[in-house]
Amino acid sequence: MTMRLEPGERVALLGPSGCGKTTVLRLVAGFVAPDHGLVRIGDEVVAIDGRIVVPPERRGVGMVFQDLALWPHLSVHGNLAFGLRSQGVSKPEIERRIHEMLEMVGLGTFADAKPTRLSGGEQQRVALARALVLRPHVLLMDEPLSSVDERLNRQLRGEIVRLQMELGFTLLYVTHRADEAADVAERVAQMDRSGGLGGAVTI
Amino acid sequence: MRSERAMLVLAVAVVGAAGLAPMLAVLAESVRVGGQFGLAHYGVLVRSTRQWQLLGHSVLLASLVAGMATTIGLPLGVLMAKTDLPLRGTLAALFTFPFLLPPYVVAVGWFQVFGRGGIVGDWLGPAVAERTHAILFGLSGTALVLASCLMPVVMLLTMLFVRTVPPRLEEAARLAAPWGATFIRVTIPLILPGVLLGALIVFLLALGEFAVPMFLRYDVYSVDSFTRFAALYQPAVAAAASVPLGLIALLLVALERLFLRDRTYEIRFAASAPDVLTAPLGRARFVLLGVVLLLGAVGVALPLGSLAIRSAAPGVYPEAFARGWDALVRSLGYAAAGATLLTVIGFALGYLIQRRALSIWRAVDSLTILLFVLPSTVVGIGLIALWNRPTLGAVYGTAWLVLVGYVAQYTAVTSRATVAGLSAIPRAAEEAARLAGAGWFRRVALIVAPLASRSLCAAWIVAYLLCVRDTGLTMMIYPPGGDTLPVRTFTLMANGAPPLIAALCVMMIAAAVIPLGVIGLVFGDLRPGRQRAKAAW
Repeated sequence: MTMRLEPGERVALLGPSGCGKTTVLRLVAGFVAPDHGLVRIGDEVVAIDGRIVVPPERRGVGMVFQDLALWPHLSVHGNLAFGLRSQGVSKPEIERRIHEMLEMVGLGTFADAKPTRLSGGEQQRVALARALVLRPHVLLMDEPLSSVDERLNRQLRGEIVRLQMELGFTLLYVTHRADEAADVAERVAQMDRSGGLGGAVTI
Repeated sequence: MRSERAMLVLAVAVVGAAGLAPMLAVLAESVRVGGQFGLAHYGVLVRSTRQWQLLGHSVLLASLVAGMATTIGLPLGVLMAKTDLPLRGTLAALFTFPFLLPPYVVAVGWFQVFGRGGIVGDWLGPAVAERTHAILFGLSGTALVLASCLMPVVMLLTMLFVRTVPPRLEEAARLAAPWGATFIRVTIPLILPGVLLGALIVFLLALGEFAVPMFLRYDVYSVDSFTRFAALYQPAVAAAASVPLGLIALLLVALERLFLRDRTYEIRFAASAPDVLTAPLGRARFVLLGVVLLLGAVGVALPLGSLAIRSAAPGVYPEAFARGWDALVRSLGYAAAGATLLTVIGFALGYLIQRRALSIWRAVDSLTILLFVLPSTVVGIGLIALWNRPTLGAVYGTAWLVLVGYVAQYTAVTSRATVAGLSAIPRAAEEAARLAGAGWFRRVALIVAPLASRSLCAAWIVAYLLCVRDTGLTMMIYPPGGDTLPVRTFTLMANGAPPLIAALCVMMIAAAVIPLGVIGLVFGDLRPGRQRAKAAW
């Protein structure tokens, strides 16, 4: 499989369950290495032939997981601050960026709330904000809207596109729904059940 | 429905009779002065400076033990469950081993190393042995011995809880931070309830322990209440003296419950999520292996190995068998019967707790936990106060009372194991059987129990190990001429020759090794060493 994404592009990866869509995201994020072949982000080879060259935290990649993976013991603010603190961002800058990001996703008043107290849609927005507050070059989204109802699903598709256009990151969006892929992405890549991972994924 | 209710009510009644009633009996006994109600016994205790001093000693000892066990057990648990440390399965078993023995066996082992006439004395001369002897006897030695015996509680709970952390939560952190920060800010806060539970159990077990402080001559409260009962025969004063330990246990269990309730997170698992993420140690792998091996060699192999060395003299084992064989057979018999009873009752209670989420069952769960951590002197005095009546002679003074005692103290273990096993079985499996017309017994026997068989086997083995190592409770309630090997050895320790005591301790170790082999067979594929490495960054 060879796949190339241009900077600032929105690409959807569409395919049936079990075809390896999530594995592609995990390869790009750096959670697994390809047995053969390479993953390149920009000019840098980040994984090659079973070896992780650049660990996840140094790839400039954000991810929204299918189950969101919000940290239940931290507040919304804590969820957003974790990555910024880990990357040594100054305290005033952390506060400014969290405030700006929460306003952007419409959660300005929810900073102190625990994720478990939020509705499904609000949790989706927190997950998105947590990924974007680090200003990633690439955002990976793994069926992020699979657990919300149809109305909210359609509303959030629009918000994702708006944020991508506003912030300009490259988006790789995994879904098994053709209508969702068409709404979110400028280009749709189809995977089938036989889709192997032997080639290069360049973003 | 009727058979279900009858069975479950019976299980609760058994735990109530075995556990709750003795607690009430202790309270009743403690306020009986010359056949009348009175608080004179408490008055004596409150005015006694020595009692306060002993209570202070107990709390200090328990705090030190809990602190040491957590400081060592938490990092060891993380290393065993979350990293690619070589031999971690074997090492986890090695560190767990002292917990399977009566703690005083480990104390005897340390005595054979550091006591007067010990191995250190043989090698380095009597002057050095005199110094190590002084360190071993007293607070420092008692705390070290108990910490080495109870540390596995924290390590095992850490390992267990670490495996419940959804990997996605750690992956989300790894996108922004290295493993170190991920552990500190995500993994450890998420497993904190488990670590605190471990520290609390260690604290309470250390608080109630009297055999090791008695052997290493550190005066604590539980020794005093045991002596008042067993040596001075002041049952009412002993009952009053045991109440403060019971209250401390009750208070801490209540606090832990409150804390856990607030910190129990609703965690969503993705169907495709890997089980456990493994953090590679990189170049530090073999350095850490060296450190852990050294810790295992000094903390476990040295004291237990010294018992084997000391007992390897001609004629010692024949004498040990002559003096302890009948007690060993009884130990195995009591433990097997106790474990079977505990597994049946624990299954019924676990079923209630897991399948019927009513507050009354939560209360039963809390009661069993409290009884588990309650000092054995409290449980023992309560059982005697309740059952020592002419009309109850069929139980009192027989092996039945020992089994009642095991049910009182250890039901939490088997009921919790059942809860863990049942939570992995979809309710739909039982509901489908119900729709097919199966009654409750049939559903449980043919659907639920077979599906939970692995957990039930584990529950039986753990219960067996706890019963076979039990010293404090059995010592108080065994029938005349019906003592167990831990009790027999403890009794012989005062006057028995050190090689004979060492040989009896080795026999006890053997009694624990055999079921450990069974554990290995049952859990072989669950050991950390066999966990597939799910990621390699």
